[in-house]
Amino acid sequence: MTLPARDSLTVRVTAAFVLAVALVASSLGIWLYHAFTGEIARRDDIALLGKLRQVQMLLGRPDAADLVRTQPDIFRDTMSGQENSLVRIVAGSGAVLADVNALGARYPMPHAVSTAPGPDAIAGWLDARGTPGRVVAGTARLGGQPVTVVVARLYGDRTALFALYRRRIAWAAAGGALAAAVLAALLLRRGLAPLRAIAAHAALVQPATLAQRLDVAAVPAELRPLIDAFNAMLARLQDGYARLSGFSADLAHEFRTPVANLLGQSQVMLAQPRSAAEYETLLASNIEELERLARMIESMLFLARAGGDEVVLERRPLAARAELGKVADFFEGMAEERGLRIACTGDATVAADPALLRRALANLVSNAVRHAAPDSVIVLHAQALDGGACLSVTNAGEPIAPQHLPHIFERFYRADPARGDAHGATGLGLSIVRAIMDLHGGTAGVRCGATGTTFTLAFPAPPSAGPGPAA
Amino acid sequence: MTLLVIEDEPKTGDYLLRGLTESGFAVRLARTGRDGLFIAREDEIDLVVLDVMLPRMDGWQVLAALRADPATEQIPVLFLTARDDVQDRVRGLELGADDYLVKPFAFVELVARIRTLLRRGPVREDERIVIGDMDIDVPRRRVRRAGTAIALTAQEFALLHLLAKRRGQVLSRALIASQVWDMNFDSDTNVIDAAVRRLRRKIDDPFERKLIHTRRGMGYVCDEDEAP
Repeated sequence: MTLPARDSLTVRVTAAFVLAVALVASSLGIWLYHAFTGEIARRDDIALLGKLRQVQMLLGRPDAADLVRTQPDIFRDTMSGQENSLVRIVAGSGAVLADVNALGARYPMPHAVSTAPGPDAIAGWLDARGTPGRVVAGTARLGGQPVTVVVARLYGDRTALFALYRRRIAWAAAGGALAAAVLAALLLRRGLAPLRAIAAHAALVQPATLAQRLDVAAVPAELRPLIDAFNAMLARLQDGYARLSGFSADLAHEFRTPVANLLGQSQVMLAQPRSAAEYETLLASNIEELERLARMIESMLFLARAGGDEVVLERRPLAARAELGKVADFFEGMAEERGLRIACTGDATVAADPALLRRALANLVSNAVRHAAPDSVIVLHAQALDGGACLSVTNAGEPIAPQHLPHIFERFYRADPARGDAHGATGLGLSIVRAIMDLHGGTAGVRCGATGTTFTLAFPAPPSAGPGPAA
Repeated sequence: MTLLVIEDEPKTGDYLLRGLTESGFAVRLARTGRDGLFIAREDEIDLVVLDVMLPRMDGWQVLAALRADPATEQIPVLFLTARDDVQDRVRGLELGADDYLVKPFAFVELVARIRTLLRRGPVREDERIVIGDMDIDVPRRRVRRAGTAIALTAQEFALLHLLAKRRGQVLSRALIASQVWDMNFDSDTNVIDAAVRRLRRKIDDPFERKLIHTRRGMGYVCDEDEAP
């Protein structure tokens, strides 16, 4: 693996898993070993005590004294085949009456306390080569005389068996850990396969393939939130990208008309000698087109900055009626020429940036004046709403078709494509209105009745009630 | 009045030189910041028009150098920028610029700003303005032509007053919208045209001699004669 070990989930989980398996396996091994050896030792101790009893019984025979004296081998016979078993019979005076010790081992002489000592009386010892042994002593009578019977045993074979057993347990634990490591790595690889699938899919995401989604059903339940989040992100990206590329296309298209006019009319004029008046007309016409382009650029930059939250809001409490009045004054002349009247009604306090509020209202009133039925009244209305304020601009006239309403605030969206007019409208006015409302945390809305169209600007309550507004 | 224009873009420099000269200023044109600083120190310059995006020594450095030299620190500076972000504007004004314009700008707007900067100091507004047979009494808000009183609305009077006090200067629609209605954004141009038409109906239509003239593609000017 080329991954740095510390950053690899597989390596980390495998290591943790191996550690856990090694710990459990060795604990289990140690416990089993102790249980097994303890049981063997207990049985050996019982056997040792049995041996002592056997010797004592032998000594209880009427001819025992003679036997001990003449045939000590009889004890060896009792032990036949058991070179590791040692027996010594000591008289009360300390004289050794019999000593069966084929190996010539030296072992301690415990004090005899009773005829039938229990397992507690057994003592451990080590011979010259370090082989462990056990020894026990018991009292007996030999021909009426008290004697001490000492029975010992060397457990060299048993020690070798235990060592083998230990080695096997160690190997088993190590092997288990190794197997666990391999299994863990393999299982993790399998378990992480969906993640690799996600990564592979993510690596393939291109602007053109944003429509593809990961299959939620194909992944484990734990990964579903991740897949859902990933798919949601793709959806947002796709939406944003589609809007952005659509916007770029629209923008290029919108620029094309004025540029074509500039280019065409300038070339036509230059093709022949013209009078000064004709040149002046051309230049003035060019200026009109260029101003339209400049306005479009300014609007685009405004929208870009508003979208990037680069516009600094100077929000303060404003008397809505007065603001409506200013905008109405501004459009009065233009409205009058079309036989329109602008009326302001209602009042409220609105927390807004004055310049931006005026701009939003001006865009709405400009639209209203352009689309109002002749000789009608445009109504600018203000009212308090949920602690904030709602301003509206209503004009009588042909309603906007319902299919256009959801898109009307989009950039360059025109309900009537043929109406892309040369009189200053950039197709960005309403998107600027929406951007301004977004900056204020408010909403821009539109509704159409049979008699006309109403655009509404809903401003929320000021963010903090803070120190009261200026009088 | 001598203006120094520091602008590296050839076409921009050329039209500024030509346009400002034709507007009645003596103009020196520098194509680099270094040349501009040299001219500012050697010649008598009344105002500097400074492009911010200059190669090598940029406009900010030129501005800082101008303000650092006692010989040039008093010269008003109007800077031109293509980047309309708040930081840029704040930076220019902090460095001691007096005004700025964002490209693209209307030429008449530039001339108006230059005139305003050169007029700096206590500007005393005339109480009475006479143009031809028109007589404006500013404090009383009364207008007469050839002895006839003309009734104007508050907006109409504000518009006429602006045109009259800037007599002979072409005022762009954006400037008019900003000064009369406080609408500081490029709005529907028809609005200003309609407002001027309304004013003309009262001021000019009844009289043979017209005082408010249209400069096509630029704006409006108020003067006795239509000659540019």
